[in-house]
Amino acid sequence: MTHAVTSGGMSAGEVVLEVRDLVKYFPITRGVVFKRKIGEVKAVDGVNLQLRRGETLGVVGESGCGKSTFAKLLVSLEKPTSGGISVQGQDISRLRGRELTRARRNIQMVFQDPYTSLNPRMTVGDIIGEPFAIHPDVAPPQDRRRRVQELLDLVGLNPDHINRYPHQFSGGQRQRIGIARSLALKPEILICDEPVSALDVSIQAQVVNLLEGLQDELGLSYIFIAHDLSVVRHIADRVAVMYLGKVVEVGTDLDIYDHPTHPYTQALLSAVPVPDPALRGHRDQIVLEGDVPSPANPPSGCRFRTRCWKAQEICATDVPALEPRGGSDHPSACHFAEERDVVHAID
Amino acid sequence: MTNTDTTATAAPKGRGRRHTRLADVDPSATLLDVRDLKVEFRTRYGIARAVNGVSFSVEAGETLAILGESGCGKSVTAQAIMGIVDSPPGFVTGGEVRYRGVDLLKLSRQERRKARADRLAMIFQDALSALNPVFSVGFQLGEVFRFHRGMSRADARKKAIELLDLVNIPAARQRVSDYPHQFSGGMRQRVMIAMALALDPDVLIADEPTTALDVTVQAQIMNLLAELQRDLNMGMILITHDMGVVADVADKISVMYAGKVVERADVHDIYADPAHPYTKALLESIPRVDLKGQQLNVIKGLPPALTDLPRGCNFAPRCRYARDRCREDTPHLYQVTTPGGDGSGRTPRGSACHYWEEVVAQ
Repeated sequence: MTHAVTSGGMSAGEVVLEVRDLVKYFPITRGVVFKRKIGEVKAVDGVNLQLRRGETLGVVGESGCGKSTFAKLLVSLEKPTSGGISVQGQDISRLRGRELTRARRNIQMVFQDPYTSLNPRMTVGDIIGEPFAIHPDVAPPQDRRRRVQELLDLVGLNPDHINRYPHQFSGGQRQRIGIARSLALKPEILICDEPVSALDVSIQAQVVNLLEGLQDELGLSYIFIAHDLSVVRHIADRVAVMYLGKVVEVGTDLDIYDHPTHPYTQALLSAVPVPDPALRGHRDQIVLEGDVPSPANPPSGCRFRTRCWKAQEICATDVPALEPRGGSDHPSACHFAEERDVVHAID
Repeated sequence: MTNTDTTATAAPKGRGRRHTRLADVDPSATLLDVRDLKVEFRTRYGIARAVNGVSFSVEAGETLAILGESGCGKSVTAQAIMGIVDSPPGFVTGGEVRYRGVDLLKLSRQERRKARADRLAMIFQDALSALNPVFSVGFQLGEVFRFHRGMSRADARKKAIELLDLVNIPAARQRVSDYPHQFSGGMRQRVMIAMALALDPDVLIADEPTTALDVTVQAQIMNLLAELQRDLNMGMILITHDMGVVADVADKISVMYAGKVVERADVHDIYADPAHPYTKALLESIPRVDLKGQQLNVIKGLPPALTDLPRGCNFAPRCRYARDRCREDTPHLYQVTTPGGDGSGRTPRGSACHYWEEVVAQ
C-alpha cells in the first residue's frame, strides 16, 4: 500500500503525507431563517506540503494564520473546499463512512489544551481505550486493559493509575495521556497542534523529550504546529512558515532559522526573545507595524505587503509563487526574497 | 522617614487602628521596598502559603523581573502590593510593602485606594477580561479622571484621546468611542497600558503583559513599555515566566519557587552563572531559537502543593544537588559572590541554596 513519491530530494525517506493545493474557506452568513452567504474566511488558501517517514515538519505562524484549520483538515475534522490530502497514496479528503474511519487510524492528533481535550467523567483507562472501541479489530476486548497499561508505560505514566480521572493528574501528565490516546491505534503520522504551549517551561521540556523519544522508538512522522519558534527549532527537521492561510517559506530548520529569505519569516524570528542578556541590543530587530489583516478580506497580491517594509507595486498585483529565490535553494514566496540573519548577534 | 505632619490630608477615621499616611512619603527612600511579605489562602484543603517571606526592592527607572512558573506566587505578590488580593480566602499575614518609606499595608482603605490610583498601577495579562465589554474604551479611560480628578465628561474624553495617542493607537480620536471587542489583542493591551499610566504612577506592575499575544505583537508591546518606562522614569515590576522576555528588558531578577525567592541577581549575572539549582535547571530546559540544541534538560517531578510544603528546601525533592541537610534545614538567602559578577552589579546576589558554591562551580 505504500506508494513512494520522490521529489525535491531534500531528505531521504518515502512521502507518507502529501497535501496538494489545499483550500478551506468558511462561509460568513447573515440571517437566521434565510441564510445568505455574504463572504468567506479564507483560512487555508492553497497549501502544498510533504511529510516523509520519520520526519518532523514544523508549522509556525501567528494566531489566525490558519495553522489549526490546517491540522483539522489533515485529520478530516473539516472537509477541504478543494485540494487533496493523500496519506500513503490514498486521497483521504474524498473518503466517507467506513473507509474514512479506517484511513483515520493512520493519522492521529494531539490537542493543545490537556484540560479540555480529556473527558472529566471518563477514567484514564476509558480515555486511552476509547480508540479500541471504535476500531475493535485493533485489539480484542480482553486485551484492551493490558494495551492501555502498555501505552501508559510508554508515555512515562504509572500503569497502575489506569482507574484515575483526569483531574487527578497535572497538566504535563494530562498531555501524556493525550499522547497515549493518539498512539493507541499505532498511527504512522501524528498531528501535534500546539502540544506544549499550555504547559510550564520545566514541564514543556519533559513533553518535548517524550515526543522525540517516541518518534525514534516508533518511527513516527510528526506535523508539529506551534507558535513558539524556539520549540519548533528544537524538534523540527523542516519548517513551514504560514501567514494568512498561505505558506510563505519552507525549508530545513537551518534554511529557515539561519538563512531566512522571506521578510515575514525574518520579522517573526527577530521578534523571538533569546534568553541571553548579552545579546540585548546586538540582534537585528524588525518590529512590524500593525496587526494581521482579516482573513475574510486578505490584501491582494502578496498578503504580507500591508506590513512589509519591502513592498512595492508588484506586490499588490502579483501573487508571489512559492519557489526558490534570492540565491537560496529553499522556496520562499516573496518577489524581493533576500537572505538576512536575524537570529544571531550581528557584531 | 521625615514627618511633615501639618500638611497631612484628612486623618483617616479609624477604628482605633494605627495607620500610616501617604502624606508621610520620603522622596529619598527606596521607591518600592517589599520586606518579608507573606500571603496565605485559607482553603478547604488547608492553608496555602502562596507567598512565604518575599523581599525585593525597585528604584525609579529600574525594571525588576519576577520570574517563576504557574503557582509560584508571583501574581499573588503583585496583588498583595496593589492591595487587591481576594479576601477571603486570601490574607496578607505579614511583612511590609514600603512605598517611599510608607508601609502601604498599614494605610487606611481610602488612602490605599488613593495610592493605587496615583502611585501604583498594574497591567493585567488578559486585556479582554480586564476591560468592561459594555462601555467604550474612552469611557473606561475617562472614568479614571472623572473619579480621581473630578473632571467633566468632555475633559475626561480629551484626556482619554491623549492617552490613546501616547500608547500609539492609530486614529485615537475615532477609536476612543469603540468598544473593547473592536480592538485586536495587541491594541487592547495598549488600552490597558494607557489606563495604567493615566494618573502618572511611579510604580508599574506588569503581570504577564504579553503572554496572550503573538510574538510580533509581543515585541511591539515590550518596546512600548520600555520606552514609556524610560520617558516617565517609572519603576517597573515585570512578572513573567518567559526567560527570553526577561533577558531583553530586565535590570535585575528575583526567581520565585513555591512562594519564596530562591535567587536574586542582576540580569547578566544570573544568565551567565546561575547560583540556584532551580534557575540553572530552568535555563537548561528551554530551547533557544538561535541554537539547534541537543536533548533538553528535564526538571523531574512537579512543584510542591502549597498546602503541603516539604520540610527544608522546597526544591529539594526535584533537585539533583539535594542531600540530607536540604530536607531538614530551610536555606536562607545566602550572599553569593561569583568570579563574573562579584557584587559589581547594583543588586547584592543571593541564592537560597546550601550548596550554591557547588552550583556555580559546575
